[in-house]
Amino acid sequence: MEIKDTIKSFIMTELLAEKGLGSLADADPLIDSGIIDSFGIMALMSFLEEKFSIQIAGDELIPENFESVMRISALVAQKTECSLGV
Amino acid sequence: MDFSFTDEQVDLREMVIKFARNELDYDLAEYDKNGEFPLEAWRKCAEMQFLGLPFDEEYGGGGSDFLTMSLVLNALGYACKDAGLVHAIATQVLCGMQIRMFGSEEQKQKYLPDVCSGKKIFAQAITEPDSGSDALSMRSRATWNGDGYLLNGTKMFITNGPIADVVIVFAVTDPDKKTLGGISCCFVEKGFAGFQQCNPIKKMGLTTLQNGELVFDACPIPPGNLMGKEGQGGMIFNESMEWERSFLPAAHLGTMERVLETSIRYAKERKSFGQSIGKFQSVSNKLAEMKMRLELGKLICWKAATLKDQGKRATLESSIGKLFISECLKQTCLDAVQIHGGYGYTTEYEIERDLRDSVAATIYSGTSELQYNIISRWLGL
Ligand SMILES: Cc1cc2nc3c(=O)[nH]c(=O)nc-3n(C[C@H](O)[C@H](O)[C@H](O)COP(=O)(O)OP(=O)(O)OC[C@H]3O[C@@H](n4cnc5c(N)ncnc54)[C@H](O)[C@@H]3O)c2cc1C
Repeated sequence: MEIKDTIKSFIMTELLAEKGLGSLADADPLIDSGIIDSFGIMALMSFLEEKFSIQIAGDELIPENFESVMRISALVAQKTECSLGV
Repeated sequence: MDFSFTDEQVDLREMVIKFARNELDYDLAEYDKNGEFPLEAWRKCAEMQFLGLPFDEEYGGGGSDFLTMSLVLNALGYACKDAGLVHAIATQVLCGMQIRMFGSEEQKQKYLPDVCSGKKIFAQAITEPDSGSDALSMRSRATWNGDGYLLNGTKMFITNGPIADVVIVFAVTDPDKKTLGGISCCFVEKGFAGFQQCNPIKKMGLTTLQNGELVFDACPIPPGNLMGKEGQGGMIFNESMEWERSFLPAAHLGTMERVLETSIRYAKERKSFGQSIGKFQSVSNKLAEMKMRLELGKLICWKAATLKDQGKRATLESSIGKLFISECLKQTCLDAVQIHGGYGYTTEYEIERDLRDSVAATIYSGTSELQYNIISRWLGL
């Protein structure tokens, strides 16, 4: 599964399941819409760090990086490239 | 996961215990009665580098890992009966950790040496009169005015607040954004215009700890005093809570160990119906329960600290540890009073103070109810 799909699937099943939304577009706002709240962000980060073996810290911990599936995927892609030394 | 401690860590714990017994020997009953902060003891702890242990040496710190710092806090909780002092120390360290994680290099150079030396006292201000558990619904506003921010609002129950030289304040910078993007974090220093530190609040326990209301009335904040980026406050808060909930319980475990030892001693000495009260199962069961809580508490506490040292997240572990250990501390102290009978109810035996102190642990750093909520959300509920 692509990074984007993995992230989307986590959000749909873990953070959105109750809300019964059928789909989530890559650019849909996650924070401003309240899909990701202060608990959701911790759950999401735990998932990302474990799934992709990365660490998100310091300057990267800004809401902008989690604004949409697109932005989260970009962060993960950049971090996994770094950890692979690409 | 390997929880065994190195010889150095074991020696350090022993050293801290010896130090606390010999050097933190002030008349605690008197300080407790007067609600006075033991400044001299604070200075002694600073000299021993307890305030700066986890920070890099270039900032005056000891460069040790988080588990070692937690072990030092545990030793203090065990050997220093003043839980107020121990909590003040923990708050200073936690403020330093926020600065280490989110401060600019300039801010680290400016503040961390003072965190480590204890020359300045630090506090963190989140809670407000109308928002505690729902912390991110805070109303304090930091408004950009072209030159910097103007801070308006009131903070409540702030540990070290009445005596703080530097306060890390959380405030709303963009009310249109949801909490995660609308809150920011800034440094306010004693003497800033419009910053008022009110008198300490009288409390049932932790009386030497100074908690108070902080008022900001058009308090000007220079742009360089923003910690992290604008809008990062919600995420800084989350991170900080995880460290805090991984850290404070270490002290509580120390207290539980001391209270257990005191209670075992008493149960062996005190005779009733011709035998030691420890021979009665309703007493010995209480002691066995205390031991179980202590040992299980250690597992989750050292696990959370180890995860943090590995650079991993411990959101769930820190919530479980915070909830479990704080409730266990309260129950352990209550059981200890019961085991001591009438003597346990007297101030002379000092157990009643531990009980009074213990209650706060289930309130600060997120109440027990909030921890249940977090754990339940983790379970997908
Ligand atoms: C000794 C001490 C030191 C402190 N130090 C600091 C500090 O340094 N900095 C700082 O910012 N704050 C500090 N605080 C404040 C502390 O964090 C708050 O008191 C705490 O978060 C609870 O908020 P509250 O008092 O407003 O209670 P409320 O939030 O009003 O809660 C009242 C009751 O309702 C329950 N409740 C609320 N919401 C829910 C919910 N969603 N589900 C279930 N139950 C709920 C609570 O668990 C509690 O039992 C300190 C408090 C104490 C006692």
